[in-house]
Amino acid sequence: MSAALPFHRRPGNRLAFRYALAVIITIIFVFPVYWLFIISFKTPDEIFAFPPVWYPKSLQLANYKVLFKDGDAATVGNSLILASVSTFFAMILGTIAAYSLVRFKTGGENLAVWIISQRMMPPVAIVFPLFLVYVWLGWVDTYVGLIVLYTAFSLPYVIWMMRGYIEDIPLELEESALVDGCTRGQVLWKVVLPMARSGLFATAVFTFVFAWNDFLFALVLTRTEVTTYTVQVTHYFGGQSNFWAKIAAMSVLGTIPVFFTVAVMQRYLVRGISMGAVKG
Amino acid sequence: MPTIAAHRQPDRNFRYWIIAPAIFLLLAVGLFPLIYSLIVSFMRIDMMDTDTSFAGLYNYKQLFKDLRLWQSLLHTLVITAIALPLELLFGLAMAYLFLEKMPWRQIFVSLLVLPTIISPIVAGATWRLLLDNQYGPINQILGWFAGHRVNLLWTINPFLVYPAIIFCEIWQWTPFMFLILLAALSNVDKSQTEAAEIDGASFIRTFRYIVLPAIWPVMAIAILIRGLDLFRIFDIIWALTMGGPGTMTETISIYTYTMGFKQFETSYTAAIAFLVIAILTVVVTWAIRRMGLAK
Amino acid sequence: MVTRRDVGKIGVAAGLAGSTSLAARQAAAADAAQTAVDAAKQYSGQTISIVWEAGLQALDPLNFSGPKWKELTGIDVKVVEVSTAEMFTKIMQDYKSGAGAYDALNVIPSWMPDLVNAGALEDLDPFVDKYGYREELQKIAATYRDNQMMVNGKIYGFPDDGDVFVMYFRKDIFTDPAVQAAFKEKTGKDLAVPTTWAEFDATGPVLTELLKDKGTYGAGFFRQPPYTMFMFQERFRNEGGKFFDADSMKATINSDVGVKVLTDMRAENAWMPPGVEQWGFVENLAAFLQGQTAMTISWPPYGRWAAGYGTDQEVLSWVPKSTIAGKVGYAMPPGGHPELAAGFCLSVASTSKNKDAAYLFIQWLNSESTSLQRVQLPYALRDPFRDSHFTSAEYLAKWPDAKDYLAALQAGATNGLLDLSVLQTDKYEETLRQMISKLWAGDDPKAIADAAAAEWDAITDKIGVDKQKAVYGAWASKSGAYPKM
Repeated sequence: MSAALPFHRRPGNRLAFRYALAVIITIIFVFPVYWLFIISFKTPDEIFAFPPVWYPKSLQLANYKVLFKDGDAATVGNSLILASVSTFFAMILGTIAAYSLVRFKTGGENLAVWIISQRMMPPVAIVFPLFLVYVWLGWVDTYVGLIVLYTAFSLPYVIWMMRGYIEDIPLELEESALVDGCTRGQVLWKVVLPMARSGLFATAVFTFVFAWNDFLFALVLTRTEVTTYTVQVTHYFGGQSNFWAKIAAMSVLGTIPVFFTVAVMQRYLVRGISMGAVKG
Repeated sequence: MPTIAAHRQPDRNFRYWIIAPAIFLLLAVGLFPLIYSLIVSFMRIDMMDTDTSFAGLYNYKQLFKDLRLWQSLLHTLVITAIALPLELLFGLAMAYLFLEKMPWRQIFVSLLVLPTIISPIVAGATWRLLLDNQYGPINQILGWFAGHRVNLLWTINPFLVYPAIIFCEIWQWTPFMFLILLAALSNVDKSQTEAAEIDGASFIRTFRYIVLPAIWPVMAIAILIRGLDLFRIFDIIWALTMGGPGTMTETISIYTYTMGFKQFETSYTAAIAFLVIAILTVVVTWAIRRMGLAK
Repeated sequence: MVTRRDVGKIGVAAGLAGSTSLAARQAAAADAAQTAVDAAKQYSGQTISIVWEAGLQALDPLNFSGPKWKELTGIDVKVVEVSTAEMFTKIMQDYKSGAGAYDALNVIPSWMPDLVNAGALEDLDPFVDKYGYREELQKIAATYRDNQMMVNGKIYGFPDDGDVFVMYFRKDIFTDPAVQAAFKEKTGKDLAVPTTWAEFDATGPVLTELLKDKGTYGAGFFRQPPYTMFMFQERFRNEGGKFFDADSMKATINSDVGVKVLTDMRAENAWMPPGVEQWGFVENLAAFLQGQTAMTISWPPYGRWAAGYGTDQEVLSWVPKSTIAGKVGYAMPPGGHPELAAGFCLSVASTSKNKDAAYLFIQWLNSESTSLQRVQLPYALRDPFRDSHFTSAEYLAKWPDAKDYLAALQAGATNGLLDLSVLQTDKYEETLRQMISKLWAGDDPKAIADAAAAEWDAITDKIGVDKQKAVYGAWASKSGAYPKM
């Protein structure tokens, strides 16, 4: 069979070609990250060397130790908590809301547009009134305050993304479940969510990332107790100083948990069940 | 788009129950700032005066006279119009590349998500270092290809700033499109695509008539979201050029940041915010209709 | 030679030892530090917060002054670290929201008119009198004392940081006979450290020509707009320029002087290392410490770090290793009147709930005895700002050339020029920054100077010409506003 296929369709060559391409593309995307990460091992002279140093002389972990000693690493923990918890709640509330929008057309187009309009508002304009509300509530510099905020701001994204993934799911599956006697809730839980697994995963990753990357709200709404990693990192850029090693080390610390989560949860990205089997 | 017949009494309110918490949260957090901004936009509050008397449409009139504002909108539009299609194309291509199994795919995909997880501020600063003429490897690499030392000032030269910014932006957010489209493509009914292939349909035809309709809901939304986010682009540009040279790369977010955050032009910033919302609402509504997202 | 001090406990102990001997000498005079400590003991157990620049600066209150204050008075000091870029915003937002979360503040002097106008800073005169601090306030170096402390005749902050631009040069190059001979041959003049910008523009290119093969250029600067903005303010005034016409309040930065400064600045880039337009503080520092530039201008820390003072500290491990220790000379920047760029004052927030405790802390920090220890901290970014700092035997002994270093700083404190400080200074500074970025992009200097002046006029109109005229007039009448020509 393979002899009859043209060169580029033969399985072996095709895989090799894909692989080469994959490696090249990955190198391009990862190179800047690599550069950032190795700064955490470089001496200042290696960071500011001409010509640039591609590989540091030694891989010493001193910079990481400093971060833990000074308690800066805790800010990574803060960001993890805030982003994870808010993602969790946003995914739940948002997905079921999306289901309502898709299957019941609740509120029609207007509601859908209103939901996405949250993402149109320039953050700078609303951060101060939010600050006022938070001062009044006593939520400044608290975990609760930021979790509520991030959850709320993630909702439009989750709702809209899950709308798309839920639409992909054939209605017949749900209808047959209903006919079988499931309640609406059970349909949602047993049929829709499993089918939307890959979408849930992809959406959750970036919901997390958006909360994780937030700077403006964390800057204004925290002081000392709940400093996030994004705010902490900016402390290393001084007018008269530049703690590149710390910046790099913090970035590594902050990236590792997310990286491993994505790597581990990846099997949910590709739906296991072939549609063909169910459609019959 | 088919809906489930609402013929079962006990479940009639189900649709409202499941959307209520989200709406409630959105209102609770979003309503006050919106109303506050609206009210403030009709006053003349800035750093020095807290003049809370009603000033009518003063700020809105100022908007139309503000050349810098409209230039920043133009800059934002240019960046969005170039980066968005490129991110979509690259993301789609990459999704196809990784769609079929390959050894170590998990590692590749996880690595490819890295650009988005690095805080945008850090990414911007890293790129500034990478693009530095003396201490960064980019010019060094270009020098290898050129055969001599290359002195390109990516963050200073007016001809290079836009390419630099757009490149960094695409670098950072193509993985977003990639991952989302990978999830969407993986949901496409394989039996259909395989049947088409056996029938001898070309890739383009298969894509156009089978794959695209299937992934369109997700793709359209991803385009919408990414477009809205590109509109708010800030960190990369701030780190690379701070909106410079002059105000050449100043986007609407940078302008709003300068006005609202540094110069405390509270009322004027509120007016800008509503202008932005108005523009985006029009665009989004048009886009939704066009893309068939609200059928 | 260079004493190695540890961060933390040893630093505190040494500091205590230092202040004890100082206090002993001042036994007769009322010691403001001691007064503050005594008066503050009644607030023992409370916590006060102070906003401080994040990063290196904040190590002072985190590792030294905060713990020491706690030891002496029982008051906890909560250091709120904020990036410089966001400090003004956070202070204003906290004030405007009524949250009152900050007790003491670090403010950059050029912000003070805006903060005072908004009502965010507490008038410190009553406290100064109550706790008898007038005498020690007088001993702050004249330029800082007379120019950075008051707004509208009232005290709103204590100058706490002797930020000034110093010219650093490689004295080994300038005294190298071979270089001197080659220079004389090329130009017919003797090689000397330039004292005017004309001399600088004549000396620099020749040095680059002579030394380029060995990897050294005549000079390098931090050319990024935020830094060059200060250098422009300095050079413009040294060359005779005035920011505004005092009567009409029209901007005069586009005068011939302004255009000349811009043109000259851009011409200099040609003989500086390629890509110098992108350099920030650390890039410039690295270049100088690695021997790539023979001259540069920057804040005082360069001088300490070039000598290797304190750079063995862990927290300064990001400073590139100095290859030029012992080879650095100190001088006034060309023109002789250096910019007192940025700087810091200690203030009390008007919405603080612990004003007395906050005030006592800043009095103690700023006092003769405590401040002397603070500016000597190896990791300190606080530069000498009191007359006694410049002549301190302890400081003079820190490294062989310290006496020249301190002499240069003292000269700067006497001749220095203030940052422009009027209403909404940031708007004017922003225009200058954009002017610089356009300059590096290649635009015509006259055109960009005119555009900048037009923007300044628009800003002044919006604020109110009369209002701004009054504030500018007050600023311009200060001794450090314009050099005596």
